[in-house]
Amino acid sequence: MQENSDSARFAYVGKSVLRVEAIEKLTGLAMYVSDMSLPGMLYAQVKKSPHARARIKHIDISRAAALVGVRAVLTGAELNYRLGLYIVDKDILAKGEVRHYGEAVAAVAADTLEIARKAVDLIDVEYEVLDPVLNHMDALKEGAPLVHPDLGTYDYVEAAFTPVPGTNIANLSKLRKGDVQKGFDESTWIIEREYDNPSVQHVPMETHVAIVQWGKNDNVTIWSSAQSPFTVRNLFCYAFKLPLNKVRVLVPHVGGGFGGKAGIHIEPLVACLSKKAGGRPVKLQASREEEFSLLPCRSALTYKIKTGVSAEGKILAQQMWMYWDAGAYADYAVNVTRASGYSAAGPYEIPNAWIDAYTVYTNKPYGTAYRGFGHVEFHWGVERHMDLIARAIGMDPLEFRLKNALRPGSVSLTGERITDNTGDVLTCISEVAKAINYGKLTEEEKERERRTGRKIGKGIAALHKAPAMPSNTATAAVIKMNSDGTVNVNVGLMEIGQGSTTAITQIVAERLGFRLDQIKVTLEKDTDRDPYDWQTVASKGLILTGNACVLACEDLLKKGYEVAAQALCAHPEDLTHDADRIYVIHRPSEMISWARLSIGYTYPDGKSIGGPLIGVGQYIAHGLSNLDKETGQGNPALDWTYGAHGIIAEVDGVTGEYKVLKVASAFDVGKVINPGMVRGQAVGGMIQGLGTAICEGYVFDKQGHLLNPSFTDNKIPTTMDLPEEIETIVVETPQLDGPYGVRGVGEHSMISVAPALGNAIQAAVGADLTHMPMRFEDVWRAMRNKEPVDNWITKTPAGSCRSDPTTRRHEPDAAIAP
Amino acid sequence: MLHQFSYVAPKSREELLDLLSTDYAHAKILAGGTDLLVNIRNGTVKPGMVIDIKKIKEFSGITYSKGEGLVLRPAVTINDVLRDPTVRDYFPLLQECGHDLASYQIRNRATVIGNVVNASPCSDMAPALLCLDSQVVLASSRGTRTVPLKEFFIGVKKTVLAPDEIVERIIVPTQAKGAIGKYRKLKRINGHDLGIIGVAVAVVNGHVRIAVSSAAPTPVVTEGLPMDIQVDEAVEITMNMISPISDVRCTKEYREFMVNTFVRRLLAEVRG
Amino acid sequence: MKIRLTVNSQVYERDVAENRTLLRFIREDVGLTGTKEGCGAGECGACTVYMNGKTVNSCMVLAVEADGAAIETIEGEAVDGMLSKLQEAFDRNHAVQCGFCTPGMLISAKELIHNHPKPTVEQIKEGLEGNLCRCTGYQQIIEAVLDTTGQLTRKEGLEYAGK
Ligand SMILES: Cc1cc2nc3c(=O)[nH]c(=O)nc-3n(C[C@H](O)[C@H](O)[C@H](O)COP(=O)(O)OP(=O)(O)OC[C@H]3O[C@@H](n4cnc5c(N)ncnc54)[C@H](O)[C@@H]3O)c2cc1C
Ligand code: FES
Ligand code: FES
Repeated sequence: MQENSDSARFAYVGKSVLRVEAIEKLTGLAMYVSDMSLPGMLYAQVKKSPHARARIKHIDISRAAALVGVRAVLTGAELNYRLGLYIVDKDILAKGEVRHYGEAVAAVAADTLEIARKAVDLIDVEYEVLDPVLNHMDALKEGAPLVHPDLGTYDYVEAAFTPVPGTNIANLSKLRKGDVQKGFDESTWIIEREYDNPSVQHVPMETHVAIVQWGKNDNVTIWSSAQSPFTVRNLFCYAFKLPLNKVRVLVPHVGGGFGGKAGIHIEPLVACLSKKAGGRPVKLQASREEEFSLLPCRSALTYKIKTGVSAEGKILAQQMWMYWDAGAYADYAVNVTRASGYSAAGPYEIPNAWIDAYTVYTNKPYGTAYRGFGHVEFHWGVERHMDLIARAIGMDPLEFRLKNALRPGSVSLTGERITDNTGDVLTCISEVAKAINYGKLTEEEKERERRTGRKIGKGIAALHKAPAMPSNTATAAVIKMNSDGTVNVNVGLMEIGQGSTTAITQIVAERLGFRLDQIKVTLEKDTDRDPYDWQTVASKGLILTGNACVLACEDLLKKGYEVAAQALCAHPEDLTHDADRIYVIHRPSEMISWARLSIGYTYPDGKSIGGPLIGVGQYIAHGLSNLDKETGQGNPALDWTYGAHGIIAEVDGVTGEYKVLKVASAFDVGKVINPGMVRGQAVGGMIQGLGTAICEGYVFDKQGHLLNPSFTDNKIPTTMDLPEEIETIVVETPQLDGPYGVRGVGEHSMISVAPALGNAIQAAVGADLTHMPMRFEDVWRAMRNKEPVDNWITKTPAGSCRSDPTTRRHEPDAAIAP
Repeated sequence: MLHQFSYVAPKSREELLDLLSTDYAHAKILAGGTDLLVNIRNGTVKPGMVIDIKKIKEFSGITYSKGEGLVLRPAVTINDVLRDPTVRDYFPLLQECGHDLASYQIRNRATVIGNVVNASPCSDMAPALLCLDSQVVLASSRGTRTVPLKEFFIGVKKTVLAPDEIVERIIVPTQAKGAIGKYRKLKRINGHDLGIIGVAVAVVNGHVRIAVSSAAPTPVVTEGLPMDIQVDEAVEITMNMISPISDVRCTKEYREFMVNTFVRRLLAEVRG
Repeated sequence: MKIRLTVNSQVYERDVAENRTLLRFIREDVGLTGTKEGCGAGECGACTVYMNGKTVNSCMVLAVEADGAAIETIEGEAVDGMLSKLQEAFDRNHAVQCGFCTPGMLISAKELIHNHPKPTVEQIKEGLEGNLCRCTGYQQIIEAVLDTTGQLTRKEGLEYAGK
């Protein structure tokens, strides 16, 4: 699918074409589900659990039901539908037991929002509070309370996942490459440490919202702020046992997703309310507070890494234990575990690798997909670990990375051989190192240190990620020509702000040789009318949908040429075209306009041939395979996007306060389709990564109540939190099966920002941090070797986030036990 | 907002005090609303009546005279203070504190007096106003009284304000050489955030004063300390007046350390 | 309570509940949904509008307080279908992604330029501090403001390795 990637030859590819839907958004006219209302629409509200784990003894809805204007009240007792992406473990409303703080136990639909709120207040729930299991490491212990005692009876996707009934283990993914024991035996150094990060909220500016109408004959219409309309439809139909053609999912503009809107969330509940209210449309919008606990978050992770290194600084073996905190339901967390399992070592060559990656149920809000799909979390560990090793063996961290980075000929953890076209992590690392003057302070920086009394440090971290998706991930595109020669393009890929609609417009215009204003890619999605797309996740959109579009363009052109050839009495091979017409190459005056061909060509005598021109393209990921359950070997990766960040930080050596002075980021994107938008993804993700690094994270008390479910105590970066300088660098090693050579970059910018910052802080003041976020207090504690803050944001089984490294020389260790 | 209430916007001070003399039990004053409306939304405050005081003409405006000092009236917003040339010239410390309060839009609405009456331990205006020996003028249909700000706060979100009283003015006395001072607020991010702790150090009439927010049930201030006081002694006095706690934002230990550090640094800066 | 006010120079007279916020009044009673709700608590700025020439978080204002006021929302920014200079600069500089923060961001940016016709980057950051954007990372928004005031120097912020 690769075309010549020389930008100079292109009319649109590689150009900063303006966002196609920008004007609607700039004028306030863009319609989001939160802006919509329908005639007769009811408003829903949810009664939520104030406990992390409790038995529901009794729910009294009588007072709520009696309130004038209440049209439906629901509790879990009357609903018998279970949901789940990979493990079917979640009831629409809690039944019998609540499993996390903020879980929905009852719901109401009423004429107004005010009545619905009042009704929810009037629902009385009697609980028997049970001891929750909150920490995922505690949940693994013998005798820990079981979050899902019935795990053994749940349906799940057997090809990919392995739940362990009778435990809190929702999944165990394994990977075995080479012989780790032998690798350790041959190592000069063995270095081992544990890293962790808390749950984090996505914070799309538009909270989750859905309107559902359960119509006659079970025809259900769903309007949702969702990333993956077809997944909503599939899972909805699975839960309610409905044929797919009965359920229509419509998605207009979406106010941000970041993975949090990738699966199915509030839609089934709203549907049940609509059904109970006699088919009136019902709308539910999460409040910002509900967004934190009624809706899912990113999983917490504890990651233990043990690495064997040769005297020359080559990694010989690495053993990795990942413990992912699913929270109360498996949702995407099991697949995060699987996907991070096979990338767990970062972009480095590990000849002998051993990974056990667990997903663990706890009584906390559940984890789902979040930009980076696990890679933000585990790269924190890997890239802090790389610095630790380098320091321990007396090598420069940059040199150590360059020595061990993947390069053509390397073999990945799952056995894939890296080629010249896989992408170039070495250049990414070198470029960011250059951009921050790695390894020394400039005169200016020295002067700044003198002036401020603060210390300046520089850190680097690399990254990689492949789309986490099934081996048969597929999509399609339909291009329909209108009678004036313009075209409408239908694809299932959602626009959630990432700019795909514009990039697809550019690709279609380029491939058809049409003008941009002839192309309209339909932005709002409708599962009844748009062709199937798996999901809008995983940074796979441009490759898969882009390819489908290229194929659809070719199909359209071929069909156009056939009719034109007949009409012009020419051989199709002798024809060519421009934006307006098809003509005979050697006699340009013999031509037919696209407009005249578009819905069928009519001869002067009225006879007609052809018909409406429609191009269709289907594309399915090529050559991927399931992973062997015992060894994790196989081919899971559509493409690998590599990158690196270099950070300069300025730290107060007394207080631990710090400031990010510069971030330089480099990604091998294959081919830039739209520079302005690539930069938008790069900077936007980087700042989101800084949020994760600096301040974001759930804080619970010891009963499992979430203490910071709002912007008051869950801060996210503002304009004031931008680094003084930001540099974005792209490397273009074409992806041979990507349209025009592209690869995905939507998630990557967020990955490894935190460890680059952690490495910079350590370089500045020596604070050796193993947990995120790095709050000023954490830096202060680390500088003084104080016990880290013992709260739930960082708590590990030992009772603190302290993780002292174990560094040994010449004494390879045989014990392999988690 | 679920809770229902009635709304009145009296046009004069008399009308307001009259209203309060009868309806005080369930009425709440609405100035900028940036605390009140948050509290009503959360359900922590449930007034039967909300009395908007912004339509009272004489409640607007900042005035300054050598004799009376700086007078801040109930509708004066933080941004009014930040824009005021007199405040800039004579009370720059007030601007430093104001600048650290919330975001631009919030500062367009948030009033200085609302901030003080709200009496949050993390109030950003209190440290400056405390250092500057501000006086609070309370009024009700029963008459007016003046209370030093220091005595106005009595606990977490508690003040001496009687239910039928309003704060009519805050008066910041004139300083001989202008109020020289510095405020430093520890936040979790550089953007707008409630303070983890805040420290103001000011030179007032030949004495040093140190005020601290977010480290005790109310914002607190020292007496005037000698200009040449030993740093350690100033720190000790400050530490004796605070009683920080551990919470979601930070631990008691770090709060103590940061107050200590900020006092040392600000003292050095202010004394030059 | 009955209120009368103008929104984008159009007069509206409505009976509103005392506890209705200006935000819900604008979105639900007037029907202008360009102004967004991101938190309802004054923290995110998605609801920023002009009220009597000052920017406010409309989720933190009661509709009844706006009796007699002049409100301006994002829908009033483009005149006769022509984007304002600011809107054009946002477009040109890729300062919009999902677009949910954009209306509030534009109102704050307008106010900022009003206060500082030639703002420094620091002033821009301070002026927009109350508007959260989760998508863009703000950099291109800041550039859009600089472009509006004729101060943008660096045009293309993307560097190509090896070129
Ligand atoms: C997003 C956000 C961020 C914030 N950040 C900060 C911050 O960084 N620092 C900080 O200190 N504060 C902060 N605040 C709190 C708030 O903005 C300030 O306390 C503000 O100054 C309160 O003023 P107001 O006019 O809005 O008060 P209102 O909400 O109108 O009133 C506050 C209280 O005072 C009473 N009251 C007001 N005026 C009078 C009067 N004249 N007489 C008697 N009673 C009166 C009211 O009845 C109410 O109980 C923040 C608030 C929000 C929403
Ligand atoms: S909705 Fe008003 S500030 Fe967030
Ligand atoms: S563009 Fe999405 S929140 Fe700003």
